[in-house]
Order: sequence, then structure tokens, then C-alpha cells
Amino acid sequence: MPKQSAQNPCIRPSLVNVRAQHNVLLIEDNPGDVRLMQEYLSEPSFAYFGRVHAASLKEGIDRLAKGGIDLLLLDLTLPDCTWLETFARIAAAAPQTPIIVLSGQDDESLAMNTVHQGAQDYLVKGHAVDARIIARSMRYAIERKRAEDALAKERDLLHTLLNNLPDRIYFKDEKSRFMRISKAVWEQFKIAGPKEAIGKTDFDFFAPEHASAALKDEQEIMRTGTPILEKIEKEILPDGSVTWAFTSKFPLKDKRGRIVGNFGISRDITEQKRAEEKLQQANTELALKQEQLQEALTELQSSHEALKAAQFQLIQAEKMQSVGRLAAGVAHEVKNPLAILRMGIDYLFKNLQQPDQETTLILSDMAEALRRADLIIMGLLDFSATRALDVVAQDVGALVEQSLALVRHEIRPSIKLIREIASKLPAVKLDQNRIKQVFVNLVENAIHAMPEGGTLTVRAGTKQLTPQDIEHDQERRFGEQFRAGQTVIFAEVLDTGHGIPKDKLAKIFDPFFTTKPAGKGTGLGLTVAKKIVELHGGALDIRNRPEGGVAATLLFRI
Amino acid sequence: MEKKRILIIDDEASFTRMVQLNLEKTGEFEVREENRAHNGVAAAKGSTPDPILLDVVMPGADGGDVAQQIHADRHLKDVPVVFLTATVSPREAGAGGLQSGGALFLGKPVSVDNLIQCINQHVRKPAPPESIF
Repeated sequence: MPKQSAQNPCIRPSLVNVRAQHNVLLIEDNPGDVRLMQEYLSEPSFAYFGRVHAASLKEGIDRLAKGGIDLLLLDLTLPDCTWLETFARIAAAAPQTPIIVLSGQDDESLAMNTVHQGAQDYLVKGHAVDARIIARSMRYAIERKRAEDALAKERDLLHTLLNNLPDRIYFKDEKSRFMRISKAVWEQFKIAGPKEAIGKTDFDFFAPEHASAALKDEQEIMRTGTPILEKIEKEILPDGSVTWAFTSKFPLKDKRGRIVGNFGISRDITEQKRAEEKLQQANTELALKQEQLQEALTELQSSHEALKAAQFQLIQAEKMQSVGRLAAGVAHEVKNPLAILRMGIDYLFKNLQQPDQETTLILSDMAEALRRADLIIMGLLDFSATRALDVVAQDVGALVEQSLALVRHEIRPSIKLIREIASKLPAVKLDQNRIKQVFVNLVENAIHAMPEGGTLTVRAGTKQLTPQDIEHDQERRFGEQFRAGQTVIFAEVLDTGHGIPKDKLAKIFDPFFTTKPAGKGTGLGLTVAKKIVELHGGALDIRNRPEGGVAATLLFRI
Repeated sequence: MEKKRILIIDDEASFTRMVQLNLEKTGEFEVREENRAHNGVAAAKGSTPDPILLDVVMPGADGGDVAQQIHADRHLKDVPVVFLTATVSPREAGAGGLQSGGALFLGKPVSVDNLIQCINQHVRKPAPPESIF
């Protein structure tokens, strides 16, 4: 830090850069002036100035070439050059070094010329120019040079930025006219250089549609002072082609904070946008393909299910056929011996002379045993029957009436019969004998469930199925054939007996399961009945009634 | 009263014997047994039966075929045939026998009373010579 002294009130430490030494080159040929200058330069004001002397332009240029000179004090009239030429040549030799002209000529125009050409100052020798003034001039010159250098550096940095960044950077005035643009911008505009854009607007380089939108944005920015950040802009060029840019725009303020224009930075995202669009399209196509694939999969799945179901049915049918054949064979083989026994028992019954009570009882028991055996065999045959149904379009109501007729003699007086049989029901293809067999079975079960009497209700008609009708399904077969809301033909037998115990309800269709006492039923009745109904594509549902008793319902598709 | 002549064609000898015993005991019938199916036609010709009781399933022969052969003979075409079969039960057939496809069936095991009832009912009615198989 230089010493502040009373002689040098102009030295303000804050204005002076702290350096070890500034080397001054004095180019002066007049010995008297040289001595004077050297005297000045010896004073404390110049404590940190090193001194070098050259007596001619050539000497001066040679010394400059060696470097290390921070400041030039230049006399314009030298032995080998004079006036402006002197200045020009020295300035050319040391373009970065501040030059203070020391001249004997008090020539304003000369002074201005040298300053225009870059001189920091023009001091007239002998005209109130003393050490103090020279010192001040030298310091200011150095400071100014430093400031100029710093500014140049900043400018260079800006230049580098503007010329190298791929982004488009521009500065516009308050009327949105270009003041400065980066290389990427003039390349976009397809012009030779930035100068061709200065003073022009977006309307000179873009289609009016985009230029108007951009202008509107910029005016808004300048009005409100609020930047627009990261906006995706669609740029339409005069030839109609479209590019996309990712843009941020800001208000341009002066030192006092007043908005004097706007500037912006913009990145070309056309490629990205196109890639994005392609991706979106690909995604849409993919989604579509996926949907199609899903549909195909669903179809495949349902085909698969259908195939599985068909396969299952086929296997069942195969099984049933072999069982059927076996059962038919067994039944036939057993029935013949039974037929012989029957004939034998009948003969004995009719022709024994005065049989005693025991003999009669024995023969009775034998006959009964035979009857049961036959029932069982028949039940077995029925259960595994694969004989084709002899189907003819029938009125279910008529079949129900005929079935009732077959068992009328079994309905005891203590049983009240209620018939609600609709007439002229839509025809259903049925094997009438088999269906009558089923219905007879159900009525007989109902009668046997009311040993003390009760009410037997027989109904037939059409109805629309409710969800409650469908839900009660032991083997989950209803769902395949019947849906809630579907119209069906029904025939049902309702009794007011003791109902079926809950724990037995699930087993009622099991072969040989019976709730009747031994000898009273083969237990094949309901199994066979269900089989027969299902062979017709119908359903048999048996459930307890809320009011007591059982409801047995046959359903047929119309 | 002239006894009705019955021909029973069934491979089960015990059964045919039982039938003969039972029917002849009533005094109303004269029963001829034939246990060989292939002899059925000859037996029918030889006995001029009225009617014929014919088993359906016999070894080496189908009752329906035998019935056809019998009815093919012009002397026998009006003879009623009652099929006795183990594949239909008395319950299915009912007391009067089951008419199916024009043929009359009786299901085994059959009671003597039912047998006699059926014979008496249908002895005058010729069964149409239709094969049911």
C-alpha cells in the first residue's frame, strides 16, 4: 500500500491496485525534459514506479519488445518519428500498454486525435504539469487500462459464450428488435453474421403466426417484469416448416433497474419433439396391439375353457358309456336269475297245498327281497343309462298331470292336493317316460315325507328366474345353463312334511343316500332323477321351504 | 276250452321251465320251450304258437332279428310276439307291457299274473313286425 502523504492528496488507496511495481518507459529525446521527468519520477509519489528510458522510437520499440512495461510516457517528437505517426507506431508495438502523451504542443486537435487513437492522456509540458499531475495521470491511466482489460475479458467471455453455445441467445430492445444474437441464432436465421439481424425483429425471420406470439410474450415480460420460463414454443419458419424450442425469456434492465428490453435463451428441441411424437405414436400403437392381444387372449381363454368343458364332458360321457355298458351287462345278468326266482316264488305261492304260516311268511319275504333287488338293479341301470333319450316336444303341464295320475292311488285322504298347473305351456323336447319317472319319484318322496298328512302342492308354469333361484346350487351347474332373468318352464312339488335335515341336504343326490328306513327306498331315486333332468339340459333343485317341508323344482329351458 | 299254445324262446332254461310250470299249472296253456335262438323260426313253424314269448338278448342272436325272421314267414306273419327283456323293468313296462316302436315288451322279472294278463290281452292282437333295434 503506498504511503499516503500530505503531498499526494490524490492517492486514494481504495482506487489503487496494490502491485509490487509499475514499470514506466519514458520515450523522450530532449535531455532537459528527460532530467526533469527523472526528477519528477524520483519523488515519493512515484515510489512504486520503476523507470526506464528510451531516446528514440526504435529504442522504445526494442525495449517494449522485451516486455515488462506497464506504462508509456511518450514524447511525440522524436528523432526517428513525429506526431501522430509516433503514437500510432508505439501503440501498434504495445497495444495493451497505456500511453500518456507528453507533448510540447498545446494542440487540442492533436490531443483529441491521440486520445481517439487510444492515448490515456495528453499532457502539455510546462503547462501546469508537475509531478503531482503526472503521477495522477499515470495512476488513472493504469487503472483505466485495468478496467478496460477487465471489460475486455468480460466481453471476451460473453463472446465465447455467444459463439460457442448450441443454445440460441439474443438480446432485444424495448421494441423487440435484435441488439445482439449468438452464433446459433444467426445460423438459424441463415444469415452471414450477427450484424444482419441487428435492428430487425422476429417478423423478419419467422412466419407471422410465431412472430406475433413471441412479440406478445416479450411485451408482457417487459410490462410486468416477470420472466417466462421453460416454455415449449412451436416456431414456424417463413417456408412453413416447423421447429420446436425450449425457451426462457427475461426482462432486460439497466443499472437503475429500469426495463429497457428483453433477452432470452432457447434450445432447439425439434429432434426430441419428433422423437417424442414417434414414441407417443409407438405407444398408441402398442396400446392398440396390447388391446388386440388382450382380446385375442380373452377369446383364446374362453375357447380354452370351452374346449376344457367339452373335453370334460367327453370324458364323462366316455366314462358313463363304459359304466353304462358295464351296468347294463350286470343288470341283464342279474335280472335273469331274478326272473327265475320270481317265477319260482309265484309257483310256490300258487301251488303249495295248505302252506303253513311260516312258509307263507318265508315266501312273502322272498318276494319282497326280490322286488328290492330288482329296484336296485333298475336304479343302477337308470343311473348309468346312456341310452339316447326319446325326446319329443311335450307340454310339461300335461306330463305333470299324467304323472299325478300314475300315483293318485298313493295319495292318502289325509293329504290335501293342490294343483296349479298352467295350460298351453311352450313345448319342451322331453323323453316323457323318463320325466314322468322323475316327477313320480318327487311326488312319492313328498307323500312319504307326510306320514301324518299335510298339503301336497303341484305346480307347473313359466317364470323368470331370480338370483335366489340360481344361488342354491350344490354342484355349481346351474350357472352354466341358467341365468337370473331368464324365462324358464318349471314344475315343482311342495310338501309340508318335516323337511330335510341341514346336514343331509348336501348329500341328497348322492347315490344310495336315503333318509328312508332300510328297505323303503333304494336311495337311487334322486340321483337318477337329477341325472335324467340334466340329460335334458334342465336342472333339479331341492330345498327346504321357509314354512316347513320341501320344495323340489324342475327347470327346463324354453 | 282249447288251451292256448305258447312258444317261449329264451336261452335261460331254468326260466323257460319256470314259465312252463306256472302257465301249464293253470290248465289254460300249453307251453313249448326253445332255448336255442337259431331254432326259433323252426320251433314257431312246428308249434303254431299264439303268442310267442321272445327274449331280447340271447347269445349269438338278437330277439328282434328272430322276430323279423318269424314274421317273414307267411304262415307266421300274424303271430303276436311279446318281448321279454331284462332291460326294462315291470315298473317301466306297466302291467300291460310297454309298447315301444310298435313292439310289446314285458320286463323281467315278471310275475306270473302279469304274464298271463299280458298273454290274454294281446293274444288276438298281432304285433306289427317292426324291429325295435
